[in-house]
Amino acid sequence: MRRINWFAWLWFTLGALYFVLPLWGTLIFSLQKRRGVLSLDAYSAALGDPRFVETFVFSNFMAICTILASLLLIVPTAYWVHMHLPRWRPVVEFVSLLPFVIPAIVLVFGFIKLYSKPIVLLGIPLFPSLTTSNLSTNLLLIAGYTVLSLPYMYRAVDNGLRAMDVATLTEAAQSLGAGWWTILWRVILPNLRTALLSGALLTFAIVVGELTIATFLARPAFGPYLALLGNHRAYEPAALAIVSFLLTWVAMGLIDRVTRGTRDVVAGSH
Amino acid sequence: MPFLQLANVRKLYPNAAAAAVENFSLDVEAGEFVSLLGPSGCGKTTTLRMIAGFESLTAGQIVMDGKAIEEMRPNQRNIGMVFQSYALFPNMTVADNIGFGLSVGGSTKAAIQERVREMLALIKLEELGARYPYQLSGGQQQRVALARALAIRPKLLLLDEPLSALDAKIRVTLRTDIRAIQRKLGITTLYVTHDQEEALSLSDRVVVMNHGLIEQVGDPFEIYNFPRTAYVAQFVGTLNLLDAVVVEPTTGSVQIQEQPAHTTSLQDCSPGERIRLAVRPELLALKSTGQADENRLAGVVENIAFLGAVVRIQVRVGEALLALDEFNNPQLAVPAVGSPVFVYFARSSCLKLL
Ligand SMILES: Nc1ncnc2c1ncn2[C@@H]1O[C@H](COP(=O)(O)OP(=O)(O)OP(=O)(O)O)[C@@H](O)[C@H]1O
Ligand SMILES: [Mg+2]
Repeated sequence: MRRINWFAWLWFTLGALYFVLPLWGTLIFSLQKRRGVLSLDAYSAALGDPRFVETFVFSNFMAICTILASLLLIVPTAYWVHMHLPRWRPVVEFVSLLPFVIPAIVLVFGFIKLYSKPIVLLGIPLFPSLTTSNLSTNLLLIAGYTVLSLPYMYRAVDNGLRAMDVATLTEAAQSLGAGWWTILWRVILPNLRTALLSGALLTFAIVVGELTIATFLARPAFGPYLALLGNHRAYEPAALAIVSFLLTWVAMGLIDRVTRGTRDVVAGSH
Repeated sequence: MPFLQLANVRKLYPNAAAAAVENFSLDVEAGEFVSLLGPSGCGKTTTLRMIAGFESLTAGQIVMDGKAIEEMRPNQRNIGMVFQSYALFPNMTVADNIGFGLSVGGSTKAAIQERVREMLALIKLEELGARYPYQLSGGQQQRVALARALAIRPKLLLLDEPLSALDAKIRVTLRTDIRAIQRKLGITTLYVTHDQEEALSLSDRVVVMNHGLIEQVGDPFEIYNFPRTAYVAQFVGTLNLLDAVVVEPTTGSVQIQEQPAHTTSLQDCSPGERIRLAVRPELLALKSTGQADENRLAGVVENIAFLGAVVRIQVRVGEALLALDEFNNPQLAVPAVGSPVFVYFARSSCLKLL
């Protein structure tokens, strides 16, 4: 016989309300663009705006680039620290947390100050001003996003590495003749899959909604568009908030399916 | 020329007070099965890892098949390794695990498949190629790890306590299988264990280590019956240690707890010298009379432990406590605790230790 734990249910209900009520409010509000009836007018207006499509696609593209860049940067670094510099782990962890401490506004002003003029070191021009072309500004934007995603991505990768016996797996692969890239690509990365997916999802969520860096680098991103819309319209931002929320949930569901899917396939092979 | 030669190998870890391995010299013949035996922290794993290339040498040389290998990278040594924790790749099936080394080495798909099938047959897991490691028992996982290491046809096989994560029954069957496979392939093998029974039952030769040093190298018979040092004698099997005083070196006459006795190994001792003798429990017997040249010590039964096939009896002789093993026999009564008894043993069965 299981007894119902009323206390646990009370807390669960309170937590759920805290989470659901604002969403519910936003949803109801977003459906009230037409006076007196519930309608999807706000949604068709918001989604029909060409700037919505443009900024949304742009931000998604930037998010994918950021995820790739941060994977490329963080996976080998975290692996190397794990294998060869375990005593440096606290330092690297601290560095990875800096974006929490240093506001994005500081970061983007630093970027602008440093990269808006050609960089010359000891009389040798290293690279030209990065803020003059859209392409190079996009690169700056990706760099900024990568910094913002650092705490999440590093943590995810680090957790993933801790969850497996990296050292022994590496040695096993080495004794079978594998070199570093083979080991990273065929042994470490596949076992980091779940960790990488969750890191990627968080990065995605951050990048798509990011406001500060995109605004100051003057790129047509979704965050600034959403903010602008919020200044001029009432119902459409609420609709977009609900849409992005749904998209996030769909993405999480997909990740869950993908990761559980592999386990199912595996279990089915008996 | 031996197949594998370690010469004066030394390993001092950075910031360590003492060397983990010191002056380690060992020749291993092709096809030989050699165990490194010793307590925790004596440097067994370190030695193995230096051979595999995962640790650098502080001093010394390692020569394998006529080539110095101590500067080679681990992935170029062609040495198979089996780990205590199995270390199978969790993202790959059993077949992919076994084929990994070959696929890294650039073998064709067909060749890999053929070799994987061969290896699965060798470890008697033909049916399980499509499973993932987490769907296997510990014993099966370790078999797969063995197959994976052997699939690349390594020149040398290293096993670091491969059985210590398994339960007792599996340990015995798997170790027999490992030895059978090793014999069949004729592969030179180094096996690390802290279990003396494992080392003695498996090996052509056993290397007993202590604090990074080799205490004794010999075949299991030698190691067990003629331990050179008190350390080896005590580590390998149970042993009775007896303090004795030399009476007459030429005749081998000594005093044990003020009772006269004889031993056969008293070269270069002087009268009055205090020495230490060792006798195995199974070489002691409780009898009322014995032969004239047998040693006889009078004592009192202090404890009796029934261990199944054998009964271990502890007899107090002066300050010494002797353990002796008798085969269990329901027809014979064991003496009662507290009763006076005579312990008999042959002169040749008590050895002087260094
Ligand atoms: N990476 C390391 N850095 C510093 N010291 C180490 C390192 N690895 C091992 N040691 C030390 O070297 C000594 C030998 O260790 P080793 O692992 O070779 O022992 P072992 O015989 O394999 O023991 P066990 O039976 O517990 O596995 C120990 O004192 C250990 O503390
Ligand atoms: Mg060890």
